[in-house]
Amino acid sequence: MKILVPLKRTADPDNANKIKIAPGGAKVVTDGLEPKPNPFDEYAVESALRLTENGTNPKARLAGDSVVVATFGAKEASQTLRQALAMGADSGLLFEASDENLDGDLVARALAKVVEREKPDLVVMGKQAVDGDSNQVGQILAERLGWPSATFAMSIELSQDKKSVIVGREVDGGVIKLKLALPAVITVDLRIVAPKSITNHVTPQTHNYQEGARYAPLPMIMAAKKKPLAEAPFASLGVEGVKTSYVKFEAPPARKAGIKVKDVPELVQRLRAEAKAL
Amino acid sequence: MDDLFNPTSEHRTLRQTIRSFAEKEIEPQAAEHDRLEKFNHALFRKVGELGILGLTVDPQYQGAGMDAAAVALAHEELSAVDPGFALAFLAHTLLFANNLSVNGSDAQKQRYLPDACTGARIGGMCMSEPGAGTDVLGLRTTAVRKGDRYVLNGAKMWITNGAVSDTELGDMFLVYARMEGAPRSKLSMFIVEKGFKGFSLGQKIKDKLGMRASTTAELVFEDCEVPVENLVGEEGDATVHMMRNLEIERLGLAAMSLGIARRCIEVMNRYATDRKSFGQPLRDFGQIQRHIAESYAEYMAGRTYTYWAASKLDLDKPGGRLDSDGVKLYCSTMAKNVADRAIQTLGGYGYVGEYRVERLWRDAKLLEIGGGTIEAHQKNMTRELARTEKLP
Repeated sequence: MKILVPLKRTADPDNANKIKIAPGGAKVVTDGLEPKPNPFDEYAVESALRLTENGTNPKARLAGDSVVVATFGAKEASQTLRQALAMGADSGLLFEASDENLDGDLVARALAKVVEREKPDLVVMGKQAVDGDSNQVGQILAERLGWPSATFAMSIELSQDKKSVIVGREVDGGVIKLKLALPAVITVDLRIVAPKSITNHVTPQTHNYQEGARYAPLPMIMAAKKKPLAEAPFASLGVEGVKTSYVKFEAPPARKAGIKVKDVPELVQRLRAEAKAL
Repeated sequence: MDDLFNPTSEHRTLRQTIRSFAEKEIEPQAAEHDRLEKFNHALFRKVGELGILGLTVDPQYQGAGMDAAAVALAHEELSAVDPGFALAFLAHTLLFANNLSVNGSDAQKQRYLPDACTGARIGGMCMSEPGAGTDVLGLRTTAVRKGDRYVLNGAKMWITNGAVSDTELGDMFLVYARMEGAPRSKLSMFIVEKGFKGFSLGQKIKDKLGMRASTTAELVFEDCEVPVENLVGEEGDATVHMMRNLEIERLGLAAMSLGIARRCIEVMNRYATDRKSFGQPLRDFGQIQRHIAESYAEYMAGRTYTYWAASKLDLDKPGGRLDSDGVKLYCSTMAKNVADRAIQTLGGYGYVGEYRVERLWRDAKLLEIGGGTIEAHQKNMTRELARTEKLP
């Protein structure tokens, strides 16, 4: 089974409070923030690796399985791919582009071209990138490909014949399980990296993964330099034209300070009279 | 895309991996292990899974075979979150593993390095004694050959990783001693394991000012029996081993200073924006600007010097004396001063634990003492420079 994982490089999400808005609201400024892989995409890499290995030997993919990572971005984004290769992915594809010339629709169309070339059995990706939070690409990609999709996955079970997956999605009040015939698109949420959220019928049921995306061990970092990483211009995919333009960015209004109430009756009274919440 | 601080893409990935591991796994436990004065053995083993405990060890013995720049960045990243833990890492990775990897025989490496690389056993190096520190050649531990054994007698002091808990010895050590009757300059080195007859924990040293997440111990050798095959190199050979390995140690300690300084600058820089006084952010005040700007400039000067020295340091050859002393001389005091300015910028908030800089300030002080006092660096550099007419 071949899995394609699209990755995006984003400004350090742990310091999102340092993002500024350019004068006039023209764009978001992330100067001085460290570029990091989008966390949901890291979870997608982790998911793809768990699907294609025996968890007791996470250094090797199962026979016949492979994980390809791809990104559209600046040349430096190859670092993000290298990191995924060091985690265990087999090969990387960088299509050089500037983030400013991409939108969700164009990215999905471009990914559809990558899928045509690479012919994966499954696309696993983050549910959204933490910079734009658009949450569109997985859905549009599935539509363009005519593939089934499941978004916000918190669990994935690969069938023994590798022809379908059962995807758990957290919703209000419980978990919905969807069965998808492959090929398919899955977008993952943060719980997908819980210790037992992926089942592939090879990793023993008793195996507990460490919570979160794995760290690339140093020998794998060294080995990753020998893995193939192809670079090509974005234009080589033959798609163009953004449909979204940003009108204006505004910082959210600063929150007002709260107040302290002396007892429950006052709380109730204020909730009713001032907050109009009751 | 590659630069002085990340000479190759592998260095960059390694830095990112260690930084991410450090932020998620090491940072949350740092304050507690400092307070309890306790080494986190479980976390150390987890670092072993990252494959960085044998950073410079030949891959043949399960190491990573990396260079001095990798040593610098690993120590810098670990120290930015927990200098005490980073010091335990240094003693194991450089003082034990790198030392044996450079100087040991194939059989010795086969026997000890794989366990060192995985973290299954923890290592350290024994040089200083209760009565011999900077004057290291004044050490008095002796060795005598008796049949198929060497018998060691003496005591070693300030041994990082000497204990893993209050009562338990560390696992394996490289011990410098002098063959009885040998001249002052002729030291020999032995591999001594926990469990060797006559080898014991004298005391775990308590009430340290800083670096409290690493253990420091006095180790006692009382007719300690060491098999002859545990002599590293030849008798009297080890002074060169020692001097050569101290070069990479000093580089590692300079890099630890950089981690401390970086963290302190980040903290004071952020605080100076957030905190207002007289209706203005602190960073609008000239006195605070001096703290921040000078700290940054000194940090970058030290960082550039350290990574430049790393690029020149060949782990297999001596010759890095002057600049390995130079980077530690400069960076250790720089880190202490930067930590001090960070506390000053934060005022009362800097003096207590919440913002970390108080701990980093305590940790920084050790770097002016351990691995060579700054006075030793000054002495050695001046001696080196006596041979130099013109500087490059």
